[in-house]
Amino acid sequence: MLLKNTYNEFIKIIAKPRSYIGLGVLTALILVILFAMKADGTSYISFVTASFEQTLSFNGNILNGNLIAFIILQMLIVHIPLLVALVTGDLISGEAAMGTIRMLATKPISRTNIVLSKFIAGAVYTLILTLWLAFLALVVVKWMFGSGDMIVLNSSGLVILQESDILWRYAYSFIVAYLALLTVSSLSICLSAFADNSIGPIVSTMGIIILFTIIGSLDVTVFDSVKKFLFTTHMASWRSFFEDPIDRKGIWQSIIILVVHNILLVTIAVVKFNKKDITS
Amino acid sequence: MKNLLVAILFFFSFSVSSQTADQLITLLVNKINSLKDYSVTANIKANIPLIKVLPVSATIYFKQKDKFKVVSKGIAILPKQGFTDVSSFLAKKGTYVAVDGGKLVLNGVNAHIVTVIPTVENSDIVLAKLWIDPKQNCILKTDLTTRGSGSVSIEYVYGSQVVFGLPDKITFTVDVKKFKMPKSISSDINHSEKNKKVDPKKSKSGTITITLSNYLVNKGISDDVFKKKE
Repeated sequence: MLLKNTYNEFIKIIAKPRSYIGLGVLTALILVILFAMKADGTSYISFVTASFEQTLSFNGNILNGNLIAFIILQMLIVHIPLLVALVTGDLISGEAAMGTIRMLATKPISRTNIVLSKFIAGAVYTLILTLWLAFLALVVVKWMFGSGDMIVLNSSGLVILQESDILWRYAYSFIVAYLALLTVSSLSICLSAFADNSIGPIVSTMGIIILFTIIGSLDVTVFDSVKKFLFTTHMASWRSFFEDPIDRKGIWQSIIILVVHNILLVTIAVVKFNKKDITS
Repeated sequence: MKNLLVAILFFFSFSVSSQTADQLITLLVNKINSLKDYSVTANIKANIPLIKVLPVSATIYFKQKDKFKVVSKGIAILPKQGFTDVSSFLAKKGTYVAVDGGKLVLNGVNAHIVTVIPTVENSDIVLAKLWIDPKQNCILKTDLTTRGSGSVSIEYVYGSQVVFGLPDKITFTVDVKKFKMPKSISSDINHSEKNKKVDPKKSKSGTITITLSNYLVNKGISDDVFKKKE
């Protein structure tokens, strides 16, 4: 029953025009970045490596597909949560607003399974979005710009990774990035269980992400104890795969915190939905 | 009479010393000019604070007077200045003065120190201090001070191509205190910088070691090699 309902939920997602907004916006954003890089990518890279280029010269194909894929991921990982929340934030509250949630609750499926099926359908949609991002960032970009060694800029310095050492890092980083986006999906579904309109959970999800990101980026001692528990702090842990040496402990810590967030948020959504007095 | 003899000897010794510096540079320039072009396989190993990079193989092409190109499948880091700048600078006779700085035993070789000062205003090289092996007519070490790229120290180890003044190994020591990686550029928002203690004793210089092999000297290199965009 859970699988059948998950299938139904996924049909509902793909039937909504807004589900394609995410894919369309993602494609448009990447095309804009690619156009910018093709037109003036060299000066963008020079700006980034300016402090080194006074003394050193970098020889070889720096502006390659691997670097641009990293830049795309870095730029879009901030915006993709909005595209995820746009769809998943509507999954429960949208039905409450339309009045179909009551009919859904009369079906021979537990309320827990209704929430779980919506969570799984949302997870599948998030996976499609992540895979589309991976396809555009790795396949299309590499086809346009070619491959090569990759320069990664961190606050601790500059790491140059060899071409043969990059693909597996992208594979793992996309898995962690997916887990981060799944947390956004879970958050919006959780908030959706509390609301009776579509827009509230979407805006609230983005509000929480913005608030947590600002707290995470402030170098103030008072937030130090809180920062490590904020899911937004761990949303960028995909970057750690491009460090040398890789901070395995930090990545595992991020994965655990993101998984705990997912479990907690889905549990809250299940409890809330089970207790919800459906009057719409 | 005795004082006059001392004065003549002093003047003579100064004259000899001054001539030696010029002679050494002339012999070096002659050697540089005998080299029309070369290509060489290079293994570049960079050990620079703030930069992590594995050794890279590249092919270096040079053609007189100043055509220089590095072709590498990967990303190769080289110092901005120092690879061909010294020879190009010395080849421009009349744009500098050479001053004898005495002798010093460097790596077992009795080297002459020559300080070269540009006489033209727009020269990027401010000062070049050369340790020259007078027997082989080759530069053993260079301390280069430039306007744009700070100071670079270069050490040369020679092998089979010493007749052309081409080294088998070059070690560049570059100034890295200017390097700074702003958080806004790296977009690495989750790594706090406030807890990072700056160690004042930490190395402020980086080294780039280039091992050169498979020289092809004066075999002719097409200009197209230098035009090709990677």
